[in-house]
Amino acid sequence: MEFLIVSVLNGVVHGLLLFMVSAGLTLIFGMMGVLNFAHAWFYMLGAYVGFTLTRTVGFWAGLIAAPLIVGGCGALIERYMLRRVHKYGHTHELLLTFGLAFIIEELIKLFYGDFPVNYAMPAYMKFAAFTLYETNYPFYRLFMGIVALAIFAALYVLLTRTRVGIIVRAATLRPVMVEALGHNLPVVFMGVFAGGAALAGLAGAVAGAFFPTGPNMAVDFGTLVFVVVVVGGLGSLEGALVASLMIGLFISFSVGLSWSLSDLLALVGLGSWAREVGGLLTLQLSTVAASMPFLLMLLVLLIRPAGLFGDRQ
Amino acid sequence: MSSRARQLGLLLAFGGVLLVLPLLLTPNLVNAVIKMMIAGLFALSFSLAMGQAGMLSFGHSAYYGLGAFATLHLMKAVERSLVAWPTPLLPLAGAAAGLLCGLAFGWLATQRTGVYFAMVTLALAELLFTLAPTWISVFGGEAGISTMRMNSWSINFASDRGVYYLTLAWVVGSAWCLWAFTRTPMGRLALAVRDNEHRVRFLGFNTHGAKTLIFAISTMFTGVAGALLAIANEATNYTIFSAQASANVVLQTFIGGAGTFFGPALGAAIMTFFARVTSDLTRSWLLYQGLVFVIVMLFVPDGIGGLISVHARRLRASAFKHLTLPYLVCLVVGLLLLGGVVFTVESVHVVLSDAYAVLRRANGGALVPYRLFGRQFHPLSPWTWSIPLVSILAGAALLPVARRLTRHGWIRAVGESAA
Repeated sequence: MEFLIVSVLNGVVHGLLLFMVSAGLTLIFGMMGVLNFAHAWFYMLGAYVGFTLTRTVGFWAGLIAAPLIVGGCGALIERYMLRRVHKYGHTHELLLTFGLAFIIEELIKLFYGDFPVNYAMPAYMKFAAFTLYETNYPFYRLFMGIVALAIFAALYVLLTRTRVGIIVRAATLRPVMVEALGHNLPVVFMGVFAGGAALAGLAGAVAGAFFPTGPNMAVDFGTLVFVVVVVGGLGSLEGALVASLMIGLFISFSVGLSWSLSDLLALVGLGSWAREVGGLLTLQLSTVAASMPFLLMLLVLLIRPAGLFGDRQ
Repeated sequence: MSSRARQLGLLLAFGGVLLVLPLLLTPNLVNAVIKMMIAGLFALSFSLAMGQAGMLSFGHSAYYGLGAFATLHLMKAVERSLVAWPTPLLPLAGAAAGLLCGLAFGWLATQRTGVYFAMVTLALAELLFTLAPTWISVFGGEAGISTMRMNSWSINFASDRGVYYLTLAWVVGSAWCLWAFTRTPMGRLALAVRDNEHRVRFLGFNTHGAKTLIFAISTMFTGVAGALLAIANEATNYTIFSAQASANVVLQTFIGGAGTFFGPALGAAIMTFFARVTSDLTRSWLLYQGLVFVIVMLFVPDGIGGLISVHARRLRASAFKHLTLPYLVCLVVGLLLLGGVVFTVESVHVVLSDAYAVLRRANGGALVPYRLFGRQFHPLSPWTWSIPLVSILAGAALLPVARRLTRHGWIRAVGESAA
């Protein structure tokens, strides 16, 4: 029971964190058709901005400045780089962001070194929110979850209930018409890209204080974020939320379980045969936990490429 | 006809140089050339899927790695005398592994197009990357597997020279096959599928089958490249499947130019050599590689190969005199900008390094001068920072001049060639 509750809590928080990063990615893809490879690197950039400002100004200043600075970088990248290569097609845009990811990572290594930095939350946030079966549950995990939920609510209201949201959504479907109505389409796109980058930056600043902040954090997260947006459906915000939670829960459960394919086969009486064969059949779920999200992504892409909530191929 | 003969002559001369190269170079450089040739073949086979058929694969390292592991298992079997297999034919194991897995994975992946295709290939490669360290019997766990090359056909494969000629033979043979493939009806179909898949389907072709086959041929030669790497290194581990390896071949192919046949191989050879040289000189070499890639993406979308082929197609030899001066100016601008950037990056690197921190502590925390390029620089002196600043500003100021000169020179050169 303890394992169940703690796993659910950790899974939900991890999932919400995944959502914070993937929300921007899925929005950018949905609006602009650009699969931004550098997105997880914006997340890392946010964590390092947060780290730098925490040391000089303060934790909350870092939390506010990180999305602004990373969003500003996103705006510059869109304005001076992506727009240039737009005429060569989406593949070129994808490759450009791919190169930018390289540069961001190497610049961070240049200034902060190859090892994780000591980015920590302020001491007054280091307390247990509640005690569960004698385990203290850290308040900061709840804080991360609340920030992510607030972002989801704010984005949802912004996109569905405001004028800006209407223009952005219309620009996705009928860009020429929106432009003919007198809206500045390039600025809308720049805003979407900057907004997506800012979200990733905020997620980095919030999560970096709890999880290790190092030059590997983007690579570790990068492919997982792709899994989330593909499973949820490229371009769908609700899909990203559901898929993030699913994958977060899945990871937190699979780490603690020692099931294998041979146990499954034992249910139909083939257990001893499977154990004799060995190899893949006896690998435990906990050791292959890292592969499972990719298997899920593969299945979704092959069976239902639009994802859970997507509506286009 | 004469251009055809000239091309052939060039290729033969290039082949001749490659044949005598190991007699002239140090063992270290011979090894570098082996790696360059392998990278070239990897890029050529990747660009069969990407450049010819428009399938952007983000998981080609899977087939590279499978080719390497298959070859290593065969080598181990030979070592234990389970089978008799001559060393020069070992890459056949890599080819078989690449072809079979390419058929299976390609059949799955080619059901999707564009970004979705890239995602499927990425997922497959990541699956292998995450499974390999836990699947010890096949991939040898985190340590990987290693073995020894055997001498056969009375060729000595203990030396780099033997490996060099083995690699050369396989790379040239494979490159010829890949080139010949583009001339076959199937190869032409690949171009048609890239440009308009719908139309090809309406013409009655089975596009899914065609794409699967093209993908499998691409992965077969990727397997050969992986096999050659396995023979050269005599070992490999699961990191060969990493997204980094897939990323590298994408970078190299686009720097070389995905639209031309030999461009990718050129890009791969140049970037492999670049990595080898710069990784010894500086720890920021990946930053420079990323910068090169982004600059190529922004300003030379057709890559180096595209640039060369435009010159070869549009210009006569006599017209190059109009371009000498503009290109010299461009070179100066490039060197000024490069110098400024390299100086800044390396200075930052030295000043933030641990060794410099120790030096500062020894001097009571003062910012002491640092050594770079054999000279002393003071980190707070305006003279130090004026070097990159002046260099970059001069480069930026000359950039419009260089562009104007190049444009005018190009128009004149094309005009003379057309006349």
